[in-house]
Amino acid sequence: MNAVIRTENLVKRFGHVTALDHLNLEVAQGETHGFLGPNGAGKSTTIRVLLGMLRSDEGRAELFGADPWKDAAELHRRLAYVPGDVALWPGLTGGETIDLLGRLRGGIDKRKRDELLERFDLDPRKKGRSYSKGNRQKVALVAAFAADVDLLLLDEPTSGLDPLMGAVFNECVREASAQGRTVLLSSHIMSEVEALCERVSIIRKGVIAETGTLADMRHFSRSRLRATLKNPVRGLGDHDGVHDLKTDGLDIDCNVDAAALDDVLAQLAVAGVAALTCEPPSLEQIFMRFYGDELAASGVQEENGK
Amino acid sequence: MSTAAAEIEDGLGTLAGTGKLLRFQARRTRVFLIGWFAGLAGGTWMIAAAFPGLYPTAADRAQYATTVDTPAMRSMTGPVEYIEAYADSTAAMLAHNMLLWTGALTAVMFALLVTRVTRADEETSRLEVIRSLPVGRRADLAAAMLLAVIASLVLGLLLALTVLGVPGADLEGALLYGLAHAAIGIVFAALTAVAAQIAGFGSTATGMAFGVIGLAALMSGVGSAQESGAIWASPIGWSQETFVFTAGQRWWPLAVSAGAAALLAWLAFSLVTRRDFGQGMMPARAGRAHAGGGLRSVGSLTLRLNRAVLWSGVVTMLLLGAAYGSVVGSADDMLETLSDTQRQVLDQGGASIEQNFAATISALDGLFASIFGLLVVGRARREETGGRGELLAAGPVPRSGWPGSYLPTALATVTLAVAVGGLFLAITGSASTGDGAFFGELLGASLLQLPAAWALTAFAFAAYAWLPRAGWLRWLAWVYAFVVSYFGQLLDMPAWSRALSPFDHLARYPAEDVEWLPVVLLTLVAGVFAVLGYAGARRRDLHFS
Repeated sequence: MNAVIRTENLVKRFGHVTALDHLNLEVAQGETHGFLGPNGAGKSTTIRVLLGMLRSDEGRAELFGADPWKDAAELHRRLAYVPGDVALWPGLTGGETIDLLGRLRGGIDKRKRDELLERFDLDPRKKGRSYSKGNRQKVALVAAFAADVDLLLLDEPTSGLDPLMGAVFNECVREASAQGRTVLLSSHIMSEVEALCERVSIIRKGVIAETGTLADMRHFSRSRLRATLKNPVRGLGDHDGVHDLKTDGLDIDCNVDAAALDDVLAQLAVAGVAALTCEPPSLEQIFMRFYGDELAASGVQEENGK
Repeated sequence: MSTAAAEIEDGLGTLAGTGKLLRFQARRTRVFLIGWFAGLAGGTWMIAAAFPGLYPTAADRAQYATTVDTPAMRSMTGPVEYIEAYADSTAAMLAHNMLLWTGALTAVMFALLVTRVTRADEETSRLEVIRSLPVGRRADLAAAMLLAVIASLVLGLLLALTVLGVPGADLEGALLYGLAHAAIGIVFAALTAVAAQIAGFGSTATGMAFGVIGLAALMSGVGSAQESGAIWASPIGWSQETFVFTAGQRWWPLAVSAGAAALLAWLAFSLVTRRDFGQGMMPARAGRAHAGGGLRSVGSLTLRLNRAVLWSGVVTMLLLGAAYGSVVGSADDMLETLSDTQRQVLDQGGASIEQNFAATISALDGLFASIFGLLVVGRARREETGGRGELLAAGPVPRSGWPGSYLPTALATVTLAVAVGGLFLAITGSASTGDGAFFGELLGASLLQLPAAWALTAFAFAAYAWLPRAGWLRWLAWVYAFVVSYFGQLLDMPAWSRALSPFDHLARYPAEDVEWLPVVLLTLVAGVFAVLGYAGARRRDLHFS
């Protein structure tokens, strides 16, 4: 596998706070990789280390096989970045900002720029100070998607966009991916990641808690199973792989580990099934599982499968 | 009926919540306030404590009075009325030397304070949170003005206590001295409040206020030098016109300050409800859809972002140079009226009085032009903390381009400001003396200051690169050079401590011959700081919010 991004035991401290604690992240060429985690988990810090804005304290980071700190300017020719909170120059218009960022890269495809302005419905004649948060975000997105680059680093890029623009964004990411570009999409909007990303890394407290394809993650997770039976079934609750069982007469509702599905279905078949639904877990549910203890600590019940 | 509704019935609706906001703003600015109080009162105290020892007798003070009684020195201190009281009162001598500068600093303090709690909050949408609470539309401005008035009076009281021990200072005089500062604070707070309504955003408001402060200092200087009414055009001048600690001490000029402050405050309060939240009075225009041909590199962007600083530097130095140049000629007229002793003091080393004047003035040209270089360097930090630099740092731009391009931009700004100041000093100076040869001498004397100005600018850049959070460090060298230039002789500072100011090493051309070694060495020092700065910029983390 040809890795565009690779970090090994990456550590970054700010004073006595450890923002990244031996982080291992790998993104292969051409893939759209979801980077999930709550606020403060270290997503932006990771991306800024990869951009050579922050120097790591320990471990290694590689971008296209080179050192992102030492070769920052050279490497940046091959990537475009959209920060989570875009700050624009108050006196420059959106159009000027997009052109400037393009020219720094050695020129901008005018046709593509104008097409993107149209798709994102952005007025390029407004000054930076008068754009709303969503429109500032659009300026950075147009500049990034118009650039002819190999890698897109997107740090919560849709946080200020309305759903309509969110759809345009998804389309643009798919097109970039179809053109063979690698995308690292940091987000906490699950539907977006689920719709776009082949592989996902979940970060928590500066460490990658889980990484893999969505299919893999689903496989290792619980499905929600609901059924209406013909006869009562006994002993289902004793099964190790069955969780949160609720019975209401002949209706049952529970979460089942992927490994236990065979057994459970066999048991149900014996009782006789009138109706059955079995849903794979959503990414949100997978995500919640990794943060279950934190949620519990802040008083929220673990809601896996609800 | 709720209290808020009751207040609206009383016509106080737009001021509802002022008291709570006042407490909140006071809490948020307490470090700022304490720092400025300590700086202004502490600085005054140090100089006040040194004065009696330096000039113990009436004869000492009278002798110093002769050196100060020239147009050039008066333009940097104050009206002649104080000089006549030197022998009788150490306090009058202190007030004469201090009021213009501590007054100008007080104005800076209150301009910063008011922008901080009004416009800057509005920009960052902190104020949006507050306006959504049950508070009136004018409440934040009212709280800001109240805070400024209270802070001014506290500062005045502190300064009064500080000077109370100086020989020649009675209680009334000390109170007047303190309130003279408070008056400047209140006037500039009100003025900044108006600027905050007109300007499109906070930094423009600060810039407008600083421009007026510069103009006020200039008009005070011109008025004192020419002994003309020009000083009445300056809010700082009104405080100087109290002639505090002299026999002619008077209170009524502070009534002018009070009237002006009331008028400005009224204007600010009527403007605040007339504009939309987050917008200035100046309407936004549609800009260009495409970048012009000039905007194609980080360097050109940096230059464009600092255009306002560059132009304000050029205009300020132009005015300063022209104003000082126009009084060179009157130095000559004055010479005829001087006594032999005075002539002796002034004719140092056989140079003419104009040449001495030219040397003093051109050193100030370099010192003041440096301010604009330092402002450019400070802008680099704001681009960083404001997050705007992030888009550049993520582009194919090495650190030497961003934030590196701020150093050449700062140096260019300083160079242009020194040159323009020198040029207009030379034009008006040679015209007022009617001596064409003086043109070259004045211009040369100003340009000679460049290496020292470069050294200060490069120092500020190195400080930014290595210790970006310590904004005060960027100004440390400049403030020190300022103290040496203005108070070095007055305070009889030892030679080694004066030598820490870069300007101290340059020859007093045209009163002395040019020495090239210090010029070369100072340029080298600037180069070393530049290299250090670039090394620091390469090795540190960038702090985007």
